[in-house]
Amino acid sequence: MCVEYLVVAYDDKNRRVNLSLRQTDILSTLAKDDELKRNPRNAEQLPVFHPEFGRFMLEATPGKPWGIGFKDLLDVEPNMRWRRRIAKDHMAPNEFPITLTTFPRLGTKGVFTDPYYPPTGDKLRSQFVPDEVANPHIRFPTLAANIRSRRGRKVEINVPIYRDENTPWPFRDPTVDYDLHRYPEDDDVRNGAVKKNCIYMDAMVFGMGSCCLQITFQAKNITEGRTLYDQLSPLGPVMLALTAATPLYKGFVADSDVRWNQISAAVDDRTTEELGERPLKNDRWRIPKSRYASNSTYIAEDPRLRKEYLDPNLIIDRDIKQKLLNGGMDDLLATHFAHLFIRDPLVVFSEDLRQLDLEKTDHFENLQSTNWQHIRFKPPPHDESTGWRVEFRPMEIQMTDFENTAFSIFIVLITRAILSFDLNFYIPITKVTENMDIAHVRDAVLTQKFYFRKNPFPSRPLRAFASGASGASSPGQGSSRPPSPFSPVGDEYELMSIDEIINGQQKVGDGTSFPGLIPLVENYLNSMNVDVETRCELARYLSLIRKRASGKLWTGAKWIRDFVREHPEYKRDSVVGDRICYDLIKAVEQITKGEGRDEGLGEQMLGLIAVRSSD
Amino acid sequence: MKLILSTSNVMSGGSSIIRHPAVEKSNTELVNSLRTNFLTAQQSSSPTPLTAGSSSPSSTYNGIATAKATFQRPHFRTWIREQEDTLYIPAIDWSLCGLAEERSQYDITVKLFYLPNVPPSRHSRHTIEAIELVLKELRTKSIDLLIASFPDVAFDADDEGGEECDASSGEDSQDTGDIVTAWRTLETLHANGTIAQLGLSEFGSQRLARFLPHAKVRPSVDQINVRDCCVVPKPLIVYAKREGIELLTHNDCTNILPTGTLRELLGSDEKGAGVLAESREVSATGREGLIGEVEPQFVVKYTAVVKERGVVENKGYFAVAELKG
Repeated sequence: MCVEYLVVAYDDKNRRVNLSLRQTDILSTLAKDDELKRNPRNAEQLPVFHPEFGRFMLEATPGKPWGIGFKDLLDVEPNMRWRRRIAKDHMAPNEFPITLTTFPRLGTKGVFTDPYYPPTGDKLRSQFVPDEVANPHIRFPTLAANIRSRRGRKVEINVPIYRDENTPWPFRDPTVDYDLHRYPEDDDVRNGAVKKNCIYMDAMVFGMGSCCLQITFQAKNITEGRTLYDQLSPLGPVMLALTAATPLYKGFVADSDVRWNQISAAVDDRTTEELGERPLKNDRWRIPKSRYASNSTYIAEDPRLRKEYLDPNLIIDRDIKQKLLNGGMDDLLATHFAHLFIRDPLVVFSEDLRQLDLEKTDHFENLQSTNWQHIRFKPPPHDESTGWRVEFRPMEIQMTDFENTAFSIFIVLITRAILSFDLNFYIPITKVTENMDIAHVRDAVLTQKFYFRKNPFPSRPLRAFASGASGASSPGQGSSRPPSPFSPVGDEYELMSIDEIINGQQKVGDGTSFPGLIPLVENYLNSMNVDVETRCELARYLSLIRKRASGKLWTGAKWIRDFVREHPEYKRDSVVGDRICYDLIKAVEQITKGEGRDEGLGEQMLGLIAVRSSD
Repeated sequence: MKLILSTSNVMSGGSSIIRHPAVEKSNTELVNSLRTNFLTAQQSSSPTPLTAGSSSPSSTYNGIATAKATFQRPHFRTWIREQEDTLYIPAIDWSLCGLAEERSQYDITVKLFYLPNVPPSRHSRHTIEAIELVLKELRTKSIDLLIASFPDVAFDADDEGGEECDASSGEDSQDTGDIVTAWRTLETLHANGTIAQLGLSEFGSQRLARFLPHAKVRPSVDQINVRDCCVVPKPLIVYAKREGIELLTHNDCTNILPTGTLRELLGSDEKGAGVLAESREVSATGREGLIGEVEPQFVVKYTAVVKERGVVENKGYFAVAELKG
């Protein structure tokens, strides 16, 4: 359960807040803290802090993998608090680690970093941000520069602007300078990079500078890993919409609630040929998605995986697929990897090319780690220190440790329910892609419907009856019945609201109805021996999910929109000024600490359930 | 005649076990999974496959409702098995039972529901029968935890803490006596290694206090309904902690299989399995069925969880009844 923080630096005297660029200092202070390491209580579990792309970011992973036991799950929330406290303890007094996806004024005109650097630089070539916002380690600026050079121009991020009463319309991003002539890429804006009625951004940091909440699961073996990968895939867009927390960009209110497509555009290295803007001449394929995008195929060897769920137009490298098949890999997995390999590596260190070390998986990891899918299938590392893993990546980071815990635990419990009930969430993978777009709509959690499978249950195996002639199926393996006949794929799914998917559909007469993910989890819990205190704590987390889905509680995105709208300095023109930003970040920090208890601040998001019964 | 109703593994039974909390009672899982299992057995034994076009087997997902229109119920003798005055409903192919992995990977919990209106003198025999059925189903020699649920024992958060409101009336000490008698059998099974740990369900602190002095093997678990899990009174928490009893949650009702429900399950109307005849007279359709009164005896639920992974691999019920001619 990996959490990313934005480090902000307050200037309380002037009531301003900036991004702190002291990541390196903070990390080295953390690394040097011997006392922290000597404390025997910490020895095993001390969280690990990593640099991230943004120089204003910190990533904290738990010191050891989590157990699946219920008592372990109850440690998640205290551990997240502890991680934040350690981070805070190693910062300057005016700094604070907040868990917002984006900093509201990154890239705006004027000052937004501490220390200040004037915008533009050779690596990012952005007209909005200085190179200094990126982590100075050679890998990161090179990554940005190589994406830009492969693409042949700067990355291009256009988020629709939220149209308020006084927003100029049509909206033309007033922060764009059309008159720069320092780098060839400065021509981009003169060549139509800026879209009408959009907030325009031009650098990797606008995407990769976003924080998210990622959870990696250890699978029992490759088979279970492949199953989880497939079954979690359709849940991705639902969880993205449910965790929506990203309504502000570059000092403006956006008409979108989540970060996903912005990150996708921020690392899109496709050439004009690959994008289909020019006929294919030098490139091999037209590629429909960025290398940061939702999954494009399924991989489980599962009789329930119908051909119709796969995308017939999936782009793969056929030579690589053949090589994998020749080596003994099955078709589905070979297709998956042959799809990842349509991308070029982004950063290769020359010393790694001098000699090919087949004992290592570095070159594979290099490609794998720059294929940012919403679920990631992770083979064991070369030293086999861990087994097959699956990473769930779509969720947005939440302001409080309580919320982040709730969503993490919910996903953990969903995976247990998937494995226990042998659940089937398959829908055509192209519908998952469509859902991902739907999740971007403002307040999608309440206003949109998503394609979702109606019946998640396995059909009961008809048994070789009573004749005594057995052996048809081995003990414990019930579901060997051939999965036919099939009804049309289109009958298997329908459009559902998030509320229906999470809390269940109303039963109408004898008709089928989706039971809801929460009832499935509850039923799983009822089948387990869970002690009363644990169950009561878990109930708090599930209650948050339930109420977010029903609309009783607000998403972070909705709360932020409301905060901006209600701010006395907001002029209903979609602009998030310095003062609004300062007050917002202060409020977010207070919510992080108070979790809805401070004069009801954040209560619309959290209700009163964030209060632990033991408090 | 003895009737043994079984669900087989409900984890692969789909929607029948998910209840819609607002409208359904907490024995829905048992009743629906029995129904689903009967239907599956009927379909498996039926020489004629389902007829209507859209009705693939997967559409049985919402239980019996979708199937009844298209499915001609086969004679019950084709899908049950009679053996020495015992009727298995449906027939069980024991060769298909068992667990996928080694026994040591599992935590096996069994909950035994003693039912109301059954003479306590039978508890001992029922206990042994119940455990035998489960061990046979899971193909194992031992279980990790057995939780005994006694009729009319229900925890009430409001009664707890302070007053002795259900004070030791004569009736109640009678209860304790019956419970202790049943417990002796469990203690024997504990002693011979069949059951590693024993537990109780729905005991408040006062009932526990009355019971504990009689227990040679102390209960290690007391189950409280999940409905009450956030309002468990402090005295019970403190008492349980002191006595080394873990308070766990459950979502079962104590009267898990009332006679009326059982009769309906086995009856010959559309929702029933067609095992029991409508009345003593042969019905107009000429379909025969067994004649007599059914009396539920006990219900036993088993759950096998793969420990390290938190995955429920196998869960099911046996419900045992007497048919009085």
